[in-house]
Formats: sequence, C-alpha cells, structure tokens
Amino acid sequence: MGTFLLKRLLGAIPLLLGIATLIFFVLNLAPGDPTARFYSPAASPEVIEQLRRTYGLDQPIIVRYLAWLRAFVTGDFGASLAQGRPVMDIILDALPNTMILTGTSLVLVFLLGVAIGVFQAVRQHRWADRVLSVVALFFYSMPSFWLGLMLMLLFAYQAYQWGWPIALPPTGMTSIDYEFLSPAGKVWDRIEHMILPVTTLTLVLAAGIARYTRGQMLEVIRQDYIRTARAKGLPERTVILKHGLRNSLIPVITLLGLYLPFLFSGTVFVETIFAWPGMGREIVNAIAQRDYPLVMATTFLFSLLVVLGSLIADVLYAVADPRIRYD
Amino acid sequence: MRGRIADVVVRSRRGAFHLVPLLAALLAAACGRDAGAPPAGGTVIVGMRADFGGFNPITNTDQYTDEIIKYALFTPLVQYDEDLEVRPYLAESWELLGDTGVVFRLRRDVRWHDGRPVTAEDVKFTFDLAKDPATASLIGSAYISEVARAEVVDSYTVRFDFVRPHAQALEDFWWAPVPRHLLEGVAPADLRNAPFNRNPVGSGPYRFVEWRANDRLVLERNPDFPEALGGPPALERLVFRVVPEPATLLTELLTGGLHVDIPVVPDQAARIEASPNLELFSFPSRTVYFIGWNTRREPFTDARVRRAMTLAIDRQEIIAALLEGYGRPAVSTIPPWSPLYPEAVQPLPYDPQRAAQLLDSAGWTDRNGDGIRENAAGRPLRFTLLSSDAPLNRNVVSVVQGQLRAVGVDAQVRALEFQTLLTQHRARDFDAVLSNWVLDNFQVASAPAALFHSRWADVPRSANRSSFANPRADSLIEAGAAETDPERAREIWAEFTELLNQEQPFTFMFWLDELAGASRAVRGVVMDPRGEFVSIADWSLGGPAAGNGR
Repeated sequence: MGTFLLKRLLGAIPLLLGIATLIFFVLNLAPGDPTARFYSPAASPEVIEQLRRTYGLDQPIIVRYLAWLRAFVTGDFGASLAQGRPVMDIILDALPNTMILTGTSLVLVFLLGVAIGVFQAVRQHRWADRVLSVVALFFYSMPSFWLGLMLMLLFAYQAYQWGWPIALPPTGMTSIDYEFLSPAGKVWDRIEHMILPVTTLTLVLAAGIARYTRGQMLEVIRQDYIRTARAKGLPERTVILKHGLRNSLIPVITLLGLYLPFLFSGTVFVETIFAWPGMGREIVNAIAQRDYPLVMATTFLFSLLVVLGSLIADVLYAVADPRIRYD
Repeated sequence: MRGRIADVVVRSRRGAFHLVPLLAALLAAACGRDAGAPPAGGTVIVGMRADFGGFNPITNTDQYTDEIIKYALFTPLVQYDEDLEVRPYLAESWELLGDTGVVFRLRRDVRWHDGRPVTAEDVKFTFDLAKDPATASLIGSAYISEVARAEVVDSYTVRFDFVRPHAQALEDFWWAPVPRHLLEGVAPADLRNAPFNRNPVGSGPYRFVEWRANDRLVLERNPDFPEALGGPPALERLVFRVVPEPATLLTELLTGGLHVDIPVVPDQAARIEASPNLELFSFPSRTVYFIGWNTRREPFTDARVRRAMTLAIDRQEIIAALLEGYGRPAVSTIPPWSPLYPEAVQPLPYDPQRAAQLLDSAGWTDRNGDGIRENAAGRPLRFTLLSSDAPLNRNVVSVVQGQLRAVGVDAQVRALEFQTLLTQHRARDFDAVLSNWVLDNFQVASAPAALFHSRWADVPRSANRSSFANPRADSLIEAGAAETDPERAREIWAEFTELLNQEQPFTFMFWLDELAGASRAVRGVVMDPRGEFVSIADWSLGGPAAGNGR
C-alpha cells in the first residue's frame, strides 16, 4: 500500500506540472491585460507601458513562463496583481471557507444519497420508490445556481415576508453582530448561514448518488449470496446493510473522487449566489481581471485537490473491498 | 423587531432565533444569544456587488473605493459642494497666484488616525509620488497633469505651480494626501502592493477597523474629527458587505439584512419603490454610453454615414425600454449636470427618414432589393457591432440592430468577454463598438482630450480608438482646456459639441442614472453626481424603524 501511494504521488507530479503549464499558456495567450484596471481610460500610453514593464508583461511569453516556473517549484506563488497582496494570503483566507462548504456537502451527499438509494432499492417499484425517483431526477437535472436562488426565495425572502418561525439569512458566513454573540449563539449563527448553500450543493449531487446506489443495490440483492444470507435465516436488516450495502458501496466510493470536481465547480455558483467568501469567487474574479498569479495558483490548487480526490477514492476502494490489494 | 413592522426593517437575527423551535430553544436555554451589546451609536450595513480595491489614494482606480477614500477614510485638499463648486476641506483657504499657481493653507486640527498631524509635507509627498510614472497613479493622470511641482512653504502651507494656465484649476486638487511617515519607506513601483493599502491609516471622519476580502469592510467613527469639518459621525460603525449577485443583494435589502443596496439594477427599481420602508435613490452618474465608429474603416470614413447611424437609432426608446427610464440622452462627454454643459446644443433627433436620405446621398442604396443598402461597387452596408457580454450592453446592441435594419443597414452584433473586447478595441480591430466612459472627475477637458484629440489617433494604447482626427476639434479642445473664464469656456465647449454633432465619431447613447436603495431608517442620505457616499459622514439611524443596529 505504501509503495502504491508513493508511486501514485510521484506520478501526479508531472501531471500537475503539465496542467499548470497548460493553464499558464492558455491564460497568457488569451486576449486581455491584467493591468487594464489599474489606470483610468484617460491615462497616457506612457503610463500604461510603465505599468506593464513593472509587472514584466513586456517580456516574451517564454521568459515569463520560465520565471514563473522557477518561482512556482520553490513554492512562491507571487503576489496578486488585482489585490496587491501575496497569493498565499488570499488562498489561506479563502480556502478554509470553501472547505467548510465542500466538506460538509460531501459528507451529506454520501449519507443522504446512499440512504435514499438503499431505501429505494428495498422498496423497488413501490410508490415511495417512484416518488423518490422523480424527486431525485428533478434535483439531478437542476442547475445549482437556479436551485440556490429558489431556495433563497422561499426560505429567506418568503419566509421573512410570511413571518415563518425561521427565516434563513440569504448571504455571508456570519452575522454582522457575530462578535457580540455568546459561544452557542456563534455556533448557531454559523449553522444558520450554512444551511442554504450546503443544501444547494448537496441536493444536486446527492440525487446523482441516490440514483447510482439504487442501481447498484438492485443488482447486488439479486446475487446468490444474498439469497444464501436470507436462506440461512439472517434478519433482513443484516442482509441489506451488511451483505447488500457493503458490496454495492464499492463502485459508489469511486464516485467520491469523481464528484470532487463537480463539487468544486458547484462552489463557484453557490459562493457567488450566497456571497460566500471562498475560492470559487476568487477564481472567477481572478480570471475576469486576468490576475495571472492568482489564476495560476487557484486553478493549480483545484487540480491538486481533484488528483488527491481520486487517490483517496482508490485507497477507500481497497478499504471497502478486501479483494483489492495495491502492491 | 417585536414583530410589528410589516415589510422591511433591519432584521434582528435574535428575533428569528427565539422562535426557532427545537435546536434554538436548546441553545438559547444553554446560554442566551448575546454575550455583549453592539456599539451604541448604531451600525449601518451597506451591500455592494464587488469588493473594494486597496485604500491608497495614489494607486486606487476603483470608483467606490475612491468615494470611501474621499468621503470616509481620508481628507482631500478640497471638496465639491452640491452645486459642484469647489469648497475648502483639508485646505482651509487658498490664494491663486494669477493663473500660474496656487497656495493652500492647511487646517491644523486634522490628524492621521495614529495621532500625528496632517502637514504640508504629507501633501507634497503624495503629489511627488503621484507624479512618479512608476506608481501609474490616477491622481497623476486625471488631476495633476497640469501641475508642475509642489513646494512646502511651512508645515501647513503648500504651493503648487501650474504647467500652463488652464480651466478649473482648483479642481486639480480633489485628492487626499497619504501619511508620509508610514509610506516613505515604500518604493514607488511597490506602492500598489503596500500592506498599508489593506490596513490604511487615514485622516477622515471614519477609521479603518477590518477588511475581509470578498466579505466585509468595517469602519468606525473617528471621535477626534474636527468640528469645523462636520465633527465625529453619528454612526458608531459602518459595515460594507460584498454580495455579488444582484438578486441576492435585493433579497438582503428586502429582508432587512442591509440598510443600503448599491447599485440597484433598473428592473429592481419598482420593487424597491413599492416597499414602504425603503427609499429609491436615482441620480445622474458619471458614466456615458456610446457607439464608437472606426473612422478609418469603410463605411465609417464618411461622416454622413456616421450621422445617419445616429439619426436611425432611437435612443429615447432604449432608455425607456432597457433602463426603465433611468437615463438621459447624451450629446457629448460633458454631463448635463456640469456647470459647463452647453444647454443650447441638442442631441441629433431620432429621424429615420433623414437617415435614409443621408445614406442615399452618400451612395448607399438598396440596389438588389434584398432590403440592405449597397454602394456603387455592390458592397452591402454591413458591419460588426461589438459589445461586452454584460446584459445591458447585449440588450442595447440588439435593439440598435433592429433599428438600423429598418433603414437598410445590416449590423451583425457580437458580444465578447470584456477583456477580449478591450483588446480588440485597443488594437482598432473593429467596425463599431458599444462602450462606455466613466469620468474620473468633473473637469470637462480631460475626456475630449483623451477621446478625440488627433494626437492620440494613431497611438496604440490610447483612448482615441475611433482614430478621430479633426484640426478644428483639436484647436477647440486645446482652447477649452486653457480657458480660465467659465463663460468663455462654456462657449468653446458648445462649439465643440456642435462639431461632434456634425462629425459623430461616436453615437452618444445615454448618461446612465445610478440607482440605490436604502432603508428609511438611515437619515441624512444624499446621493448625487458626487457619488453614493458623499454624505456618509452625516448618515445616522433614527425613527421607528431603527434602534436595533446590529
């Protein structure tokens, strides 16, 4: 296992480097100028030239690439052009916020998705199965930004208008008076702010997992060993949860790694709609402003997380299925 | 909140909290929500779509950041009053040295927020840095380009010499000094990345407290702000929250999570007006939209064709349909609210018949009966009209396309991502572009000089992207810029505007009206061309809808 991990990690290095190089060239060859927002349109061309020199944008792209590569391999991400502070500071500010969103959602996606899938498989073709299938398909086909707006309309705006007992805050991570709250008040304040964005992220993806789990489960419970388990008199609960679920989970686990990219791209919309100060918004702003150092660092980080995600999936695969050995 | 205000008050999350049935009750029982009380003078929460730039008056170029610098955090030498006349601020008085220079005497009671006095040394330091091309300062290009040097006379007196006599000279000084003692160690080229910009020490009515990127900016009242400049603000704290999505921002305003929503998009205006606890502010902006014609490309080499385009575009309809009426037709870059606005010159009317005649006389007629005009060589009157992918811009070009089609002109519209559009526009690689211009200040000469002077017609990164070159325009721009008598200046700009009307290097579309929504609980709000935050030092919370400043 250790050798396998090491091999995979080493193998990821050229992959990540390749990705970063590709991003560098695509970004730098795209039309645009990161210094465009630094001067008024009335600024003289000399001032603009001076600024481009300051940021090294007058250099040929190969020279810029080598300079970037040299800094990058030593872990120096440079300073954001738009925000005028180290890229590392920006990531350290924004990444934890995104991880809170995606981490919570990932856990909920699997718990909810698997639970619904198993329930549906057990009740195959009964009305509960049919209803849940329609509901899952509904959420599965819904764009997350639309779902987010609708949830906000209902649970923040209408809830407030109609005087429901609880109206959720539409945006942000904490209330403005957060620092004046008691410790328990702080905990609730944070939870309250997470409900809408996490629900938005979770519903769409959980629907997919539920569909998948249901299919797997239906296949597994037709296997001979399930019949054997029932025949030897095991209670139905044990048959389903131990013999059935464990075997149908194996392919679902691989999905975990594959879902990470969806989850991260989902945060771009969700963070924008719910004004969540995370990485998704940093990336969108950075690309729009051609903030090269920040785009490079953030997209690299996302690709790293995706690579790590698929590695984790492989490891979990071995944990769930004792037949699988990595040597 | 006490459940008595029907629509909008600033929501107390505490009110909602007590009613949450299960978990809330448990948590509340455990310890109650409030550990301490929020500050007494009240907090106003402002929601905005984009985050601020760094709070450095020298390197900033963002409009809202500029307002926070000028009206909240720092103290410019001069300010504008509501008639756009210059009034004393950090400078308590001045003496013009004929038309060759000016001497400012500074107030002695304005202090940096770390306690040191603001002196003439700070003013000169700021001026010199802004003049340094390495800082690429907006102050340098937009304000002091006609000022040659600064000289410290004594600690509270500073003298400036002009490059040449010029119009609106006092308005060169609508910028705020930075503290020399905190920034003199920073190299000019590094000023843009100075840690100061994210943790500024200002001199204005509010002090900096905290800035979390993409989330919030917190300011607090400066208790030492001099009475003569309005004294300490009534509000204890100001919080600016960043909410990028307009629908979400409106939701926050309607549910009381915010007091002020800036900016509001036109189709949200009715919703705000309908709410009894909210007030809609609309005021003329400094942004003018126009279609720039490439005067170096057929068919726009011919002024008759350009004029025909303007006559064929119904700008009033666009304002009514796409801006919900929140805009006014434009005739030049001189805004209608400017003291120098030439009242007498009217925009070209919407007159498709005259447009058709002009096109006929320029040799463009429909020769093959396909509904599109051709010239004698059989080339159809077809061109590409570029716009950015912003919703308003896309909609405007679609409407223009339809209106031009009615006079036999085939405009192919293309929406491009902003940076891509900018690159093409700059490279002069376009037939026509819908674009806009935001005035940096209230000096009328700077925009015409950048947009229409032939000096820039062939310079790659310049703003004269229509490559407009007209000797009479050049001499009028130069005369207007140099004219120190307002009456005479107004006449020159009227003549210039008349020339633009004939030549139409641009089809001026409209001046946008800015829209903002605010809770009626916030008092003292004034919004006008000087900006959304011009009265921010006078904002206060009052009335029945207030009292729960979080």
